[in-house]
Amino acid sequence: MIRVLGHGLLGLVREGRTLLLLTVVGVSLGVGSVVAIQTLNQGALQAFGGSVRAVSGQADLTVLGTVPTIDPALLPRVLADPAVRDAWPLCRLDAALADGSGDLIQIVGFDVFAPVRYPLTRQLDETGSAADPGDLVAAAMAVPGWCAVTPHLAASHGWAVGDTVPVSSGSRLARLVIGALVDFQRYEPLAPVNIAVMDVAQAQALLARPDAIHQIDIVLAGDEDPGTAAARLQRNLGPGVRVLTPEQRAEDAAGLLAAFRLNLTALSLISVFVGLFLVLASVQASLVRRRREFGVLRVLGMQPRQVLVLILAEAGVLGLLGVAIGIPTGFRIALWNVETVSATLTSIYVLEEISRLVLTPTVIIIGTAVGLGGALCGAVLPALDMSRRGVVELLSPLTMHEGARRTAVPLALLAVAAMTAGLLWFVAAGGGNRYAGFILGFVMLIGLPLLVPGVIRAAGAPLRPRGLGWVLSLRNLTIRLRTSSFAVAALAVTISMMVGITLLVGSFRQTLVTWLDVTIRADVYVSTESWIRAGNEAFLDAELLTALGGRPDVQAVETQRRLRVSTADGRHRVWLSGIAFSAVPGVTLASRLPLYAGDPEAVAGRLLASEAVVIGEPLARKAGLGPGDDLVLAGPDGPVSLPIAGVAFDYTSEAGTAFTTLETFGRHFRSDQPNNAALFLQPGADPDAVVAELQRTHRGRPLVFRSNATLRREVLAIFDQTFAVTRTLQTMALFIAACGLALAQLIQVRERAGELALFRALGATRAQISRMFLGEGLAMAGLGLALGLGGGAGLAALLILVINREWFGWTIRPDVPLGALALEVAVILGAALAAGIYPAWKSGLSSPAQLSRDDL
Amino acid sequence: MARWTWLILIAALALPCGAGSDPGWRRAAPGYRWEWPRDHYAHPEFKTEWWYFTGHLEPEDDAGIPGDTLGFQLTFFRLGMVPPGTGTPEAGLAARGGIMAHAAISDATAGDHLFSEVLWRATPLLGGFGAPGDTVIAWCRGPGGTADLWSLGFDGQTFALRASDERRGLAFDLRCRPVKPVVLHGDQGFSAKNAAGTAGSLYAALTRLEVSGSVMRNGAMIRVRGECWMDQEIFTSTLAPDQKGWDWVSLQLADGRELMVYRLFGPEGGEGFGSGTLVAPDGSTTPLADGDFRLEPRDRWRSPVTGAEYPVSWILEVPSAGLDLELRAVMPDQENVSRLSGVHYWEGAVTVRSRGPAGASVGRGYVEMAGYGEGNRPPV
Amino acid sequence: MNGPFPSLVLDRVGMVFPAASGSARTVLDGVDLSLHAGQCLALVGRSGSGKTTLLHLAAGIAVPTSGRVLIDGEDLGGMTENARTRLRRDRIGIVFQFFHLLPHLNVAENVALPGWIDGRPGGGLEKRVGELLDRVGLADRSRDPVGRLSGGEMQRVALCRALLNKPSLLLADEPTGSLDDRTGQVILDLLLEMAEAERCALLLVTHSLTVAARAERIFELHDGRLRQDPGVPS
Repeated sequence: MIRVLGHGLLGLVREGRTLLLLTVVGVSLGVGSVVAIQTLNQGALQAFGGSVRAVSGQADLTVLGTVPTIDPALLPRVLADPAVRDAWPLCRLDAALADGSGDLIQIVGFDVFAPVRYPLTRQLDETGSAADPGDLVAAAMAVPGWCAVTPHLAASHGWAVGDTVPVSSGSRLARLVIGALVDFQRYEPLAPVNIAVMDVAQAQALLARPDAIHQIDIVLAGDEDPGTAAARLQRNLGPGVRVLTPEQRAEDAAGLLAAFRLNLTALSLISVFVGLFLVLASVQASLVRRRREFGVLRVLGMQPRQVLVLILAEAGVLGLLGVAIGIPTGFRIALWNVETVSATLTSIYVLEEISRLVLTPTVIIIGTAVGLGGALCGAVLPALDMSRRGVVELLSPLTMHEGARRTAVPLALLAVAAMTAGLLWFVAAGGGNRYAGFILGFVMLIGLPLLVPGVIRAAGAPLRPRGLGWVLSLRNLTIRLRTSSFAVAALAVTISMMVGITLLVGSFRQTLVTWLDVTIRADVYVSTESWIRAGNEAFLDAELLTALGGRPDVQAVETQRRLRVSTADGRHRVWLSGIAFSAVPGVTLASRLPLYAGDPEAVAGRLLASEAVVIGEPLARKAGLGPGDDLVLAGPDGPVSLPIAGVAFDYTSEAGTAFTTLETFGRHFRSDQPNNAALFLQPGADPDAVVAELQRTHRGRPLVFRSNATLRREVLAIFDQTFAVTRTLQTMALFIAACGLALAQLIQVRERAGELALFRALGATRAQISRMFLGEGLAMAGLGLALGLGGGAGLAALLILVINREWFGWTIRPDVPLGALALEVAVILGAALAAGIYPAWKSGLSSPAQLSRDDL
Repeated sequence: MARWTWLILIAALALPCGAGSDPGWRRAAPGYRWEWPRDHYAHPEFKTEWWYFTGHLEPEDDAGIPGDTLGFQLTFFRLGMVPPGTGTPEAGLAARGGIMAHAAISDATAGDHLFSEVLWRATPLLGGFGAPGDTVIAWCRGPGGTADLWSLGFDGQTFALRASDERRGLAFDLRCRPVKPVVLHGDQGFSAKNAAGTAGSLYAALTRLEVSGSVMRNGAMIRVRGECWMDQEIFTSTLAPDQKGWDWVSLQLADGRELMVYRLFGPEGGEGFGSGTLVAPDGSTTPLADGDFRLEPRDRWRSPVTGAEYPVSWILEVPSAGLDLELRAVMPDQENVSRLSGVHYWEGAVTVRSRGPAGASVGRGYVEMAGYGEGNRPPV
Repeated sequence: MNGPFPSLVLDRVGMVFPAASGSARTVLDGVDLSLHAGQCLALVGRSGSGKTTLLHLAAGIAVPTSGRVLIDGEDLGGMTENARTRLRRDRIGIVFQFFHLLPHLNVAENVALPGWIDGRPGGGLEKRVGELLDRVGLADRSRDPVGRLSGGEMQRVALCRALLNKPSLLLADEPTGSLDDRTGQVILDLLLEMAEAERCALLLVTHSLTVAARAERIFELHDGRLRQDPGVPS
């Protein structure tokens, strides 16, 4: 048996190198896309986890505020808890390097006396001996701006110990002094590289606020369960803080990213799905080609079960080859995409950037399971089919395709039935299930390929060929249903995905543009270099605001404070903005409210007059809130209940947003220091000129001025970046599908050797044969395209109307980006054409002399 | 991984023996003008300072068990980090240094040696030092899990010592009233720490204080009475590289005299440097030079926790004072193992007998041995 | 088409195949043959005697290693592969032993195939297909899938296909080899009759002397050489 298997594999290699290559490439791309996405997904979580472990790795519990800062007086209360062994305060913030790069570093202000052991070392001096390490502590407290950075960060910026580094937090500038190196990566490989450690008081004094502490880390004495201790501490410390275990913090991040991760995973699974067809097609092809071999083996006494095992073993070997190539490929792809994904994490989800990707055993196992499992799944149907066939059937030609022709109609009926059932189930029962959209999508994606044989038959059957034209090509597809179906199905699924996503992205982008028109109304926007991520702790100072408001070309200044809070029940994260609205002639507040529910005039009135909030649509959907309800937020002194005046469309965060007046905000959340400001210019003032002048005036300060147009462009750039990784997945899927087309055609070249020889004998030139093949390739592409466009439209509808609303909570107005779609169709046809070139050339090589008695 | 906090102690707590300079800090030098009670309070212009209380307590409602005494230790350390007039602007957690405290109870009857410690940044939230005239000299939070504060209070007459650690079952609340005047060691309170006299500390002591108050024993506070010794030492310079540790002995003799001797030793136990003070019943002092006394270790005990081997009995001879004494630990295990600093030392109550056939008890004392064991440089 | 030149001329044609051992195997050696329109010539020989090679040379599928092959006076030797293919399409019809019909095309479509390859417009082609099928008696079955035909019927369809482009040379490779004697007889009659009617030269390759006897001339291929009229008994 082993020898037969070995012989079979050798035969595969000998006979069909290209075929084999395409199969392995298909599997490896499928594996690759899964590995890439899982690696990135894990990277995103590990980046957060790494940062948590680097800073709080020795802590059993962490106390965080409902607002970014917590009352320092809680520290003694934490220490008094009987379960607490050690506890220390941390002052954490993000500072921007004021070297023009705008790079952010995470400042960790910790108590140098705390029993927390950071791997702090001093660089060796020139003689190779370390300076007296004892000075570090004194220096950390005594040298203004003293900090320790990771060796990686120091190396990447060319810093040496003793160097001074200017940084900014909000509109404040400070000078850090590189005092030592802290090699977090040595004991926490996933620790972010951009950490700078300094004494807590220095961080407070130089960069944050004098009373700001953001976190208390706790080590328990070990004789009590952390959960019990956390619950008691939570009770004693009150509702202004949250006491979390590291696992809870990781879960928080995971929950934040759930929708993002799920979508990427679903997309990568489509690649696997497409790859599966490839395996199916190639196994099928190799089996068809070797049917006589199996016939002979059966005559010689091989059992059907042995045939099955033999075929599956071969598929397994192909799968493993695909895994061996796919895992490194996927990891490489993840590396290529890490920057865009990382940017998405930081700009949209306000999480750590991914500083390092690691190929974890889990991902390797997933990749192997997908590749091997996919190969076996793809092989099992044809293998079963082959093993069940009788010897006579195996030894006689042409019966193979008749089977496919006979099952085409039942398969199509089955597909229609399944899709209908899926749709009915979705309508009847899908409402309560978050995953219903995905399940329906999956049913559709399963149904679509099942439709393919029927569709090909339907397309080819009624037409009578009148020459070597496209009709004959189409006919040829219907004749070779098995091979053509796989290729067309793979293509149709791919195109569905591509078109679905293109429609989604196009619609989303258009919706966003429309929304920006309503909401981005000021002429110039002012923020700070450290704002982008730091958000809540990067402030604009009062003098600056006064100066801006005093400019003759400025009509009004609006300021905004943004804070991430959670609802009092802890179930929803909310980006809460407090805005000091200004009365700007011609730009009424009502006209700037992109309301989803509520009357703009009434909402604007309530907002300005009372303690009301407007909440974003995602929050309204996820929390089931609407006008008339109260938004109950966890405030620094307990729950803050704000009546909801209206619901606005909002695309800034899937986590949920809400805004109110800065005054109301300040009353409940202690601080009304703004993070950014918007300037309404006098009529006739040129925003670009004003921005240029502001930049000149404030040169050297960590301020960022953007005109309306620039801000809009940057928002759209972030949007595009967010979907960049889906482009990669789309490309990979298209590549797999193109492999499928090429594969199908190569199979046809082999299977139809006799027919081609006959054509040649009857006087068809090589070029004619090649053209016929190209025509068939295009016919397949055309069918795939037709099915894919239909499927894509369905998928887009599902994504826009169901999955996005359920998972992100966004209303997206469907829009057909014709240009993008046309480009995509052209790319698909181009890919199909490219995929057909080699098989077409190969087909032209057939000689009439090859006409033997067995063929046809 | 660096033992971060251990480094603090190396930097801050080393004995004032090195000759290195520490800019920004005042250095201990002969001719310091002492003024009491002002000098009981902290001296922020010097880098390091400590208040060291060691003593012997008897339960008041003693069931009559002979020799049922409790040894106690309470030390507050001031660890200066930021010299006066420098540093960053004020912040909520701004601190000029740290405050550390060690507390121990040696219960020879029960065979228990309890040790507790704290180490905080000296910031109003966690701990600090009083100014002359305040009712506290030093105070800080208790260790994690303990609600009460630790403090060294002073009302102009009496010192009030409070320390507790709920998790370890250690607590005491003691009032200590000096019964003899302040003793200035060395040259008018400048105690040289090497033969050249280039490094040293300001060193004063109250060699006999009456103690009353309560101590936790088996989970309950009991009334106690007894005597203690208070050392106050102030310095800036650091430990010299050829000095590894020291032995320090304080004795309160039944005849009304007190004796303090110490010897610094190097890594190979070589020559070292010793000094001492003999205090007469009337409070007058006689300085002792290195050659005026002999301290010889006898029995030894190996710590099962740290592996360090400490002497637990000694011969101490001061011929000029007519003293030929045998010191013996009330129990072998009086080792303080400090988690927060990563160092360990032996600080324990000893009995004092005259040598010879009679071997009568002639007093009691406290011995400190630092720098024992591998890779262990002493905190104090 | 039926100009002054013979339909097929083989002029001292030799064919040498390289053999595995590195030596060469001579399959044809100085073969001379001339065949005019309306003539029928039978070629007999044992298996491996070179019949198929000679047929491939006549069809322009292969080119000789020496000598010339001329179709209607045109020397195939100077032609490109494509030119030979076009020549084959326009001037040569081939009938195979195993019919070689495309199973997914119906009777009429199979016949029309050379026309498709020619790229000829539909109207005239359909007429010609109908005409031919009528002449072989399959006019009423033109829409049937070829799979439903009997062997004899299949060969008739193949015959129609071979004659579709009005070739000047008809090559028949064991045309009755897969048929029973009676059917074979009928097909042979039809072949000769149609070749006659279409005024094309017929080269009939067979191993059956009975079949060969129907030809005007008989050649035997033996050791790569052609011998005329081997003197057939019965």
